[in-house]
Amino acid sequence: MPAALPVILLTLLEGAVTAAQVALGAALIAFVLGLALALVDVFSRFALLRTAIGAYVEWMRNVPALAHLFVLYFGLASIGLRFSPKGAAIVGLGLVGAAVLCDVFGAGMRALHVGQREAALACGLSPLQALRFIVLPQMLRLTLPAIGNYASQLIKDTSIASAIAAPEIMFYARNLVTSTFQTPLIYASAVLLYASIVFPVSWAFNRMERRLGVGR
Amino acid sequence: MSGFFQVYREYLPEWWPRLLEAARVTAELSSFGFLLALVLAGVLVAMARSPWRALRWASNAIVQFVRAVPLLALLLALYFGLPAFGLTLSGYWAGILGLGLQGAAYVAEVLRGGLDSVHRGQREAALAAGLTPRQVFANVVLPQALRVMLPPLVNCYVSLLKDSSLCALIATDELMLAARAMSSEYFLPLHIFVLVGLFYFAIAFPLSMLSRLLGRRLSRGRRALGMT
Repeated sequence: MPAALPVILLTLLEGAVTAAQVALGAALIAFVLGLALALVDVFSRFALLRTAIGAYVEWMRNVPALAHLFVLYFGLASIGLRFSPKGAAIVGLGLVGAAVLCDVFGAGMRALHVGQREAALACGLSPLQALRFIVLPQMLRLTLPAIGNYASQLIKDTSIASAIAAPEIMFYARNLVTSTFQTPLIYASAVLLYASIVFPVSWAFNRMERRLGVGR
Repeated sequence: MSGFFQVYREYLPEWWPRLLEAARVTAELSSFGFLLALVLAGVLVAMARSPWRALRWASNAIVQFVRAVPLLALLLALYFGLPAFGLTLSGYWAGILGLGLQGAAYVAEVLRGGLDSVHRGQREAALAAGLTPRQVFANVVLPQALRVMLPPLVNCYVSLLKDSSLCALIATDELMLAARAMSSEYFLPLHIFVLVGLFYFAIAFPLSMLSRLLGRRLSRGRRALGMT
């Protein structure tokens, strides 16, 4: 039965809610874990720890996200650790993102002059305060363009969660196609829906970059 | 833990040839996709540098739009949507086309950045020295731009290689689809998906290292110049 355009859009929007949840959840994991890994990688004296982080980052970044999702969803289920599709998508994309942001944050901190931290410590700030008030703000400003790229990439990557049956945009699109056969209309709507989410996000990041004078 | 590896010892002889065959398809998908991306990106960059504003605008609009669309949506639209317009592509060719289109947007940015990185004076000096515009481009601008472009181009290929895994969802017999088929045959999804991850890693990781090495090597001369 052919569905009207409003029906298609409403159904896809329902998927967009799940996509947003996946993206936000994954971004949270990626940001926190990525920052923690980058801090350890930059400041730790233990070479073994740094090697382990390097191995994690390389594994995550050189293997397709789809493979990570399949390992989490199908692989771990076979040894008794069961994720919901949405949960596996959040954890999977979050772990991949952590590797990406670990690289980004690490490069950002290494780009700062050593003197920044040394001066802060000499002024009597504690190491934690130096990090909080001197290093991190500058690092975040420096890496804002890369974080923006990651954000729009993440929104697009939520689409592969449909491969493990998480009910996001592409999942609903495929369902609609099999029930209504209005293939071009449905996929065109899905494509435009993604674009209309990604564009404002990258616009917001661009605006933030200009505000903060990144790249001056 | 030893039981985990025991499984590989037992099944690897059966899995290996199938995965190797699928890896060949993955390599083809990503390589042909990358070639298509290079060609299309060349066109996009030529458009971006044309004297006509409409072409420049179109080039930019295409790049921005393609970058905002997930590859999976593009692949499904090509594979399932095009037949409605009388054009039916196999998963293999739809995959190459999708990877090529998506890759073109990213490669175009790399090419543009590389060409922009060559100082305008280089071109002007070469023209003043009597070289034709074609010679200027081929012998002066391009060689200098290539050292900036090469590392990110290798990264683009690695991205394409990973993205080619999505072709499994349009029924292309590449690594990921082979893995899915095998995991429902042997009921050993963890072993199989980790193994398939290793296949990707075995191609992607050396290339990533190469890109990093090239980045350091090729920028050596430049950096020295910049610091004086």
